[in-house]
Amino acid sequence: MAVTDLREYSQLFHSYTELRVQENRFLRVTFVKGNNTTNSRSTTGGVSARVYEDGSWGFASSPEVSRDSIISVVKSATDNAEFLNTRQNRGKGPLPVVKACSERDFTTKKPRLRQKEIVDFVREIDDHIASKYPRLQSRTVALDCLDMEKTVLTSDGSLSHSMIPRAYLFFILSLEVDGKPVEIFKSCGGLGQFEDVFDSPSSVFPLIAAQYEHLERKAEGVHADAGVKTCILDAELAGILAHEAIGHTTEADIVMGGSVAARLMDKEVASPLITLVDFANSAQGRDCPVPVYVDDEGTEAKDTVIIDKGILKSFLHNKESAKHFGTEPTGNARAFQFSDEPLIRMRNTAILPGTSKLEDMIASVDDGYYLIRSSNGQADSTSEFMFGIGLGYEIKNGKLGRAIRDTTISGVAYDVLKTVSMVSDEMHWTGAGMCGKKQPIPVGMGGPAVKCRVSIGGR
Amino acid sequence: MTRQVENHVQIAKRSLDALLKAGADKAQVGLTVSERHEMNIETGELSLLRTTFNNSLHLTAIKQARLGQIGLNQFDSASVEKAVEDVMDIANGAKPDDGHDISEWQPAREFYRGPEKPDLDAMYDRMKSFIATVQQRHPRVVLRQIILSFTRSSSYLLNSNGVDFRTFKGIYHFSAMFSAQEGDKVSSFNGTGLAMKDLDRELIDCGTVDMLLKQSSEQIETYPVKGKFVGDVIVAPDCSNFLYGFLTGMLGDGAIISGTSVYKDKVGELIASPILSLHSRPVSEEIADGYFVTGDGYEAKDSTIVDQGVLKGLLLSLYGSRKTGKERAANGGGAFVVDPGDRSFSDLIKSVKRGVLMDRFSGGAPSKNGDFSGIAKNSYLIEDGEIKCPISESMISGNFVEAFKNITGISRERVDYGYAILPWVAVSGLTISGK
Repeated sequence: MAVTDLREYSQLFHSYTELRVQENRFLRVTFVKGNNTTNSRSTTGGVSARVYEDGSWGFASSPEVSRDSIISVVKSATDNAEFLNTRQNRGKGPLPVVKACSERDFTTKKPRLRQKEIVDFVREIDDHIASKYPRLQSRTVALDCLDMEKTVLTSDGSLSHSMIPRAYLFFILSLEVDGKPVEIFKSCGGLGQFEDVFDSPSSVFPLIAAQYEHLERKAEGVHADAGVKTCILDAELAGILAHEAIGHTTEADIVMGGSVAARLMDKEVASPLITLVDFANSAQGRDCPVPVYVDDEGTEAKDTVIIDKGILKSFLHNKESAKHFGTEPTGNARAFQFSDEPLIRMRNTAILPGTSKLEDMIASVDDGYYLIRSSNGQADSTSEFMFGIGLGYEIKNGKLGRAIRDTTISGVAYDVLKTVSMVSDEMHWTGAGMCGKKQPIPVGMGGPAVKCRVSIGGR
Repeated sequence: MTRQVENHVQIAKRSLDALLKAGADKAQVGLTVSERHEMNIETGELSLLRTTFNNSLHLTAIKQARLGQIGLNQFDSASVEKAVEDVMDIANGAKPDDGHDISEWQPAREFYRGPEKPDLDAMYDRMKSFIATVQQRHPRVVLRQIILSFTRSSSYLLNSNGVDFRTFKGIYHFSAMFSAQEGDKVSSFNGTGLAMKDLDRELIDCGTVDMLLKQSSEQIETYPVKGKFVGDVIVAPDCSNFLYGFLTGMLGDGAIISGTSVYKDKVGELIASPILSLHSRPVSEEIADGYFVTGDGYEAKDSTIVDQGVLKGLLLSLYGSRKTGKERAANGGGAFVVDPGDRSFSDLIKSVKRGVLMDRFSGGAPSKNGDFSGIAKNSYLIEDGEIKCPISESMISGNFVEAFKNITGISRERVDYGYAILPWVAVSGLTISGK
């Protein structure tokens, strides 16, 4: 994306205005059973403006980035705000004034690889799986890369430019058992462009070997026994607990829309072992999977402690919700495409590690489950959550037992969190997922292993 | 042909010519121009009006059985030239695969559906009326996010075999997400979506909107199902993707090519109760939000997927068909229409000894073998033929392959969502577990 100097357009702003030029670049390569089914790149970019007038918002966007289109987009957004404001004066008054400037670019410094070199990289992994694990019924290896580049200018004087990339490999391995498939799914990758995230095909071979071992055990696995059980949720799973079960209920627009968290501020909502933070851009001295420095409303992104030692302390805000709640915006307003308006979104939501050892946690369970990997998850206004579980094991008398087949866990988050009795000292982060809420958006999530009681589906 | 259409066609033709000149053996160009007007209600108030324009240009090049695809939303000459150069580089890097091809020549056609322009004043009036009516009829409901939009699109698909399809479509979409609250208690989020050719009716009177709003107020107080039992589940139309999502997913390219579909060799066999007939009707007049052209360049036709329980065909694309030697589907799926049953909804409820009326399912991704489990949301306990109470913290589990065979009833009443027409479906033998 040619970085456009937007400052000259500030003279067009007559009300509170955000002007954003954005380009998203995708790269996808997929091999299904050796067939190169996907080999594509795409780019979506353009300019958008959002205007606020006394409680009414107008938004407009165009794929063309030129002086004329920028002028047109600002005018159209202004007209839209006026259309609503003249018909229904909400009388909400001005938004909080903030000003922040930032320049962050995670573009690789290495020479960019050509598509053939990237396809060959993925194919080498696929060839390795095919030759090393001939018992597999099917295999899928997919590469998914996304660069999000944005320039934002606001009428408050904020100006930021960011290029935040991510690159992930996905593996699906399948064995046939009694004529039916049993499958395992795993992703790896992180913040950065392909050249910075992946070294050589062989670097992922140990991870694939570990997945095949899990798959063989899952093929001989059993259905979980449905009911409320004591479970150890692995660190790999804790991130989705942080994101789905708790995080969503504390997004201020969800709170205003009826979330149960609205009445829980400063109350005990979890075990004192639980501290939950929505990190802006770095945690424990490292870049988070989806770093945000200045959000799409021009607010400096700061870490937000949502739960502090079991007490609910903060919601996640944009400017409008911060004004509603009489607090500061937290830098959580984010848009996915140039044609999307910023929404309140989590950034890098994580439960902080505790002091227990995972092996001690497993040893402390007489009859329960060790749940390692989630397939998907959903939240609710009531804080009742659900995660699909794609990998887990029985725990019998403190020892791991048989693998279990795909299942689902659920519970009311603010009840389940009160049952947390141990938290491990290890931390696992991922940024492979997309959160859905009108628009998709990349999010980071992380956490340690936790011991708690949840409902598990099965037979 | 208007100047605008002529301009779009010229861009598509120039792109196609450039691909062939750059060395593609076969090429396809898909070009779409769209304009969208969208009104948003947030937390009960009309707060945002959006106007968005977008372009998309998808180029496909096949060279010596190597596939390259690229997408962009810029139409200027420099961007298109760069995209042509890049897509050939992408194709040159691909692994050869004889499955890749483009559709053969078909007669050129133009398709038209829906209005050309939105009625913004009518959109505003309908949204204001919706807010007022909800406040009056359902005072405990909080409208979390309500969206009414109009999208006008012009789409062109051309390929090097002479295919030339043009589609001009205007459609309104309505989506509603809401919950209800009283004191410290809140109901689960619920929602629905519709597609409409016009705004002739009040929004609250469309589809299941009013019914779900009423149910939200009822669901402020919920009760967990006690214990675990095997019972009947009546799947409401808003929850239909729970059933048909698995089935159609197992009939598509991914599952069939990988060999992981439980239905891979079942065409012509009974896979569901004989009372189930499922159609995909993208070009039917009864579907407001259909489509006329498939992604791989064929004129779409209506089809029957399951006829009285018998699987009639798979949902394979041209690529999937060439890879497996099985028949290409008549369309790209979706636009589902399920035939009505011979019993009323109330009769379905009366026939249940113990079970659940399920309006929403929040579940983990099902296993390829059909095993599933998840939470019954916005749902009710049924005992002795009567709806007893709204439930929470109640899990439903079973196997989709078995569930389709265990369909025991389909309602006469159906809901027209504009993108699908669906009845209530009763399934027996599912495990229901609570606290």
